[in-house]
Amino acid sequence: MWRVTIKGLLAHKLRLALTALSIVLGVGFVAGTYVLTDTINKTFTELFTETTKGLDVAVRGKEAFGGQESAEQRQPLPAAMRDQIARVEGVRAAEGSVTGYAQFVGKNGKPVTTGGAPTLGVSVYATPELGESTTVRSGSLPKGAGQVAVDARTAEKQGFAVGSRVRIIFQGPAREFTVSGIVGFGEADNLAGATLAAFDLATAQEVLNRRGVYDEIDVVAAEGVSPETLRDRIQAQIGGGYEALTGEQYAEENAKAVGQFTNVINIALLSFAFVALFVGSFIIVNTFSIILAQRTRELALLRCMGASRRQLMRSVLAEAAIVGFVASLIGLGAGILIAIGLQGLFEALGADLPTTSLEIKPRTLVVGLIVGVGVTLLASLAPALRATRVPPVAAVQEASMAAPARVGWVRITVGVVMTALGVAALMVGLFADEAGNRLVTVATGAIVVFLGVAVLSPLVARPLSRVLGWPFAHWAGQPGKLARENAMRIPRRTASTAAALMIGLALVSLVTIFAESLKASSAKILDQAVAADYILTGPSGGFTGFSPEVVKQLSAQPQIEAATGLRSGSFKIDGQSKGLTGIDPVSYGRTVRTDTISGDLGDLAQGGLAVRKDVAESKGWKVGDTVTMQFPVGGTDRIPLRAIYEDNQINGEYMLALRDYQRHYQDQLDVFGFVKAKAGVAPPESRAAIDRVLAQHPSVQVRDQAEFKQEQENQINQVLILFYVLLALAVVIAFIGIINTLALSVLERVRELGLLRAVGMTRGQLRAMIRWEAVIISVLGAVLGLAVGVFFGWTLVSALDEEGITEFALPIGTLLALVVAAGVVGIVSAILPGRRAARIDVLRAVTTE
Amino acid sequence: MAGETSGAEGADKGEGVVAMREIASRAVAISKVYGHGETAVRALDEVSIEFPSGQFTAVMGPSGSGKSTLLHCMAGLDRVSSGEVWIGDTELSRLNDRRLTMLRRKEVGFVFQAFNLIPTLTAAENVELPLAIAGDQAERSWFERVTGEFGLAKRLRHRPTELSGGEQQRVAVARALLSRPTIVFADEPTGNLDSRTSGELLGFMRRSVDDFGQTIVMVTHDPTAAGYADRVVFLSDGHIVDEMAEPTAEKVLEFLKRLGD
Ligand SMILES: Nc1ncnc2c1ncn2[C@@H]1O[C@H](COP(=O)(O)OP(=O)(O)O)[C@@H](O)[C@H]1O
Ligand SMILES: [Mg+2]
Repeated sequence: MWRVTIKGLLAHKLRLALTALSIVLGVGFVAGTYVLTDTINKTFTELFTETTKGLDVAVRGKEAFGGQESAEQRQPLPAAMRDQIARVEGVRAAEGSVTGYAQFVGKNGKPVTTGGAPTLGVSVYATPELGESTTVRSGSLPKGAGQVAVDARTAEKQGFAVGSRVRIIFQGPAREFTVSGIVGFGEADNLAGATLAAFDLATAQEVLNRRGVYDEIDVVAAEGVSPETLRDRIQAQIGGGYEALTGEQYAEENAKAVGQFTNVINIALLSFAFVALFVGSFIIVNTFSIILAQRTRELALLRCMGASRRQLMRSVLAEAAIVGFVASLIGLGAGILIAIGLQGLFEALGADLPTTSLEIKPRTLVVGLIVGVGVTLLASLAPALRATRVPPVAAVQEASMAAPARVGWVRITVGVVMTALGVAALMVGLFADEAGNRLVTVATGAIVVFLGVAVLSPLVARPLSRVLGWPFAHWAGQPGKLARENAMRIPRRTASTAAALMIGLALVSLVTIFAESLKASSAKILDQAVAADYILTGPSGGFTGFSPEVVKQLSAQPQIEAATGLRSGSFKIDGQSKGLTGIDPVSYGRTVRTDTISGDLGDLAQGGLAVRKDVAESKGWKVGDTVTMQFPVGGTDRIPLRAIYEDNQINGEYMLALRDYQRHYQDQLDVFGFVKAKAGVAPPESRAAIDRVLAQHPSVQVRDQAEFKQEQENQINQVLILFYVLLALAVVIAFIGIINTLALSVLERVRELGLLRAVGMTRGQLRAMIRWEAVIISVLGAVLGLAVGVFFGWTLVSALDEEGITEFALPIGTLLALVVAAGVVGIVSAILPGRRAARIDVLRAVTTE
Repeated sequence: MAGETSGAEGADKGEGVVAMREIASRAVAISKVYGHGETAVRALDEVSIEFPSGQFTAVMGPSGSGKSTLLHCMAGLDRVSSGEVWIGDTELSRLNDRRLTMLRRKEVGFVFQAFNLIPTLTAAENVELPLAIAGDQAERSWFERVTGEFGLAKRLRHRPTELSGGEQQRVAVARALLSRPTIVFADEPTGNLDSRTSGELLGFMRRSVDDFGQTIVMVTHDPTAAGYADRVVFLSDGHIVDEMAEPTAEKVLEFLKRLGD
């Protein structure tokens, strides 16, 4: 039996090669993802170990407001605490440090952006042990109010050298410094893509808005005192509002934070890898089905000679396992290349990841092999089962390649039930409020829908191919007619080939629809809710804020009617962390349209809070109530509720009066600004006025409504392209499937093709026949995919109505282009099988048995 | 029906005198060598032969004597190693693949021993296939006449799997005739049929020669089948060894016996 398995493998090595390719790509993606994220983790762990070198204990304020909605916000430490800690027994040195926002202005006058990484301003340490992590590459550490040290990467990119004059933007106005030195961090040129401006402590405290306070106090232990002991002693001294941790804990914590981030990347990429494998499994099903159908006689002969069903089953599965294993091994190798490719992709999109040697863990290899072999085995199960049902008598009967195309009620029932269950799961996941892992429910639902549709697709493959093939049958002559017949011939084969493409295109159309809906929705919000003519954003598209000075100066311009700034922060209510917007009610009211249900937003001028209708309803609040909120600065406060407003997609759930915001938050930065020009002022004039003010604030960007819309569309498009690139693999695999199916069909129909040649078909006509069949199959897949994708897109958009995606946009043009593109790629996939068909030797085809 | 048949026969006999001189296809000293050097097989060795229009020729000979090779070379399915093959006024060895294909489409009909039909097409579509490939349409009356003659009128909408072996071969012959080719080659068309169905098929072929003036060359092993032909050509080891006019099954059997001795 084993010999038969091996012989079978060798006999079909070419056909299996294409199948294996789909596994290679899938496993490669999985392995590549792991290699990439492991490498990032390793890089950061090394970096953090490096940066905490020499640090024994760090003291900082307790994190009051975690959660995903806001960056970490901690109570700063009073300067006096340093002296208190310095007196603790076993402390050799204690030094305060601060970190804040500082952005370089490049030589072109534009702020130096990072593509998401922070732009850091920090203080340098005077204590040599603490300064160990920073290596001075050239020059010296900064001293005094006029000096700054720059990280090596920024210096290199911007052409800063020791002695250069650089401008740096802070929360306040920009200032000029002289570069005193270029620094690195061990081997690394920067901290994970961040730009770094380092000052001496006093200067840092001043420019970073930390007068009289520290963000952190870093401690070096005396000889013979363990960091743990010292930590405990210090903790006992400083009380509950602050925390002390060892250098090791500190590094671990940072590494963990990075780990969480890479975990997200990991899961995201693995889902795409999963899609690729899922698509690949269709191709495996198909190839094994076809190969086994072609071997019906051989299998029956084995049965005649006494092979049991179980033996046949084992033989087929062993074949699958070997294919899966070999493909997975190659896939692991491909994974390393893919990791490098993904790294390049991220870099191209602006995320500057530090590079070190690739980290290949045993786990990566094991998971890759298990996934590859597992998927192959699973996918070959159904064809294997079918193979064992071959009756021995088939050995002596005339082989009937074409399975009778009868309507299977079992298939209909199973398909309908699966599709219904999948849709149900999808709906529950999307619409039910119930906690639990919604993403998993949605994903499972989607998979089950795909499988359900795949089960049903053989039923529609025949009629759909007939319809889609109509133009070919009527305008492409006999080759077109035969192509249509061939596509309709074995509906199961056509359907599962098309189904693989369906999945890829469903996802492509889903993300396209989603992105378009997102664009349409945000455009509508702008039109409806924003009365302002201009929108201001800080550097890196609103990740970091800008000085309130900007809005103040703009308001003073004669061409400007109103300018307002929005600040954001987080607070705790009933033990939960929430986000709020700090607003100046007067100017805000003039630039953003808010419909209040009760109270008046203008009343916030006396301080107080406004909340969205649904929040008020769920909490049972009315205007006039007081709400107990906990803030990062000043702790708990009771704030009067002044207004309840309708959702306008801009305000958010909570809006706090600016005067309260100023009391309760450390950083006073606007993250967004709205500017309205006076009536009668021509746009170029108001724009010029704004540009004049912003000349002093180069990090702030101004856009009119049209530009802002365009900008948002560009951002969405960028993400869309990332999705397209990641989904491309699944689509490529689907087309490998089409090539495979066609190639197998050509081999199966050698005699038929030879006969056609004998009775006068030219090679070109033969190729055309295969080409049109490929086009019919791929367009069939595209049509099914679009149907599913539009349905998914519509459900998703409906589910996110409350989150602000109120518009459902159907990009008909793009979707049609997808169908056309599928057809074109179908033509391309037909090239190889077509060539093969054209090469068929007429005589061999018609004379050999 | 009977009157029509005799009328056509009469007309054919009249033309026959002329037709005897008109050559549908001929081979001039053709050789066919498979392989190279030591392992080379000379399947045909300087064979020259003419197939006059409107004649039904049978080709006989022992297995491996080169009958199929001769047919394939004459039909433009394979190329000769040397010599000339003519169909009508065209010499085949100078044609490229495309021209050869066009020639096969228009001038040549072919019937194989088995697998003559495209399984996805109905009997009618199979009959029309060569014309459809050429982008032409069959003349309705001619189509009906041919399929009628072959007793296929009721089976036209069936697919090959729904037809008996004899019916399938009848469809194949009808297909070969439909484009009124210069010549039809048939390689053991009755090889897979029992004697009764064979007889039916041969009868149809005979009638197409008599009624439509079709030229047919048929390879066969069966003396009875050869008895339907106007002439029998005997092949042995790639040479034409003998020829017999007006053969009957008995005469052919007799001859083969002598050849065997
Ligand atoms: N494709 C081929 N390659 C090599 N030898 C061949 C090939 N086709 C036929 N032959 C040889 O040529 C000779 C004649 O074959 P063929 O014409 O098929 O004989 P027949 O049809 O009379 O049985 C035989 O010896 C056969 O082995
Ligand atoms: Mg032969």
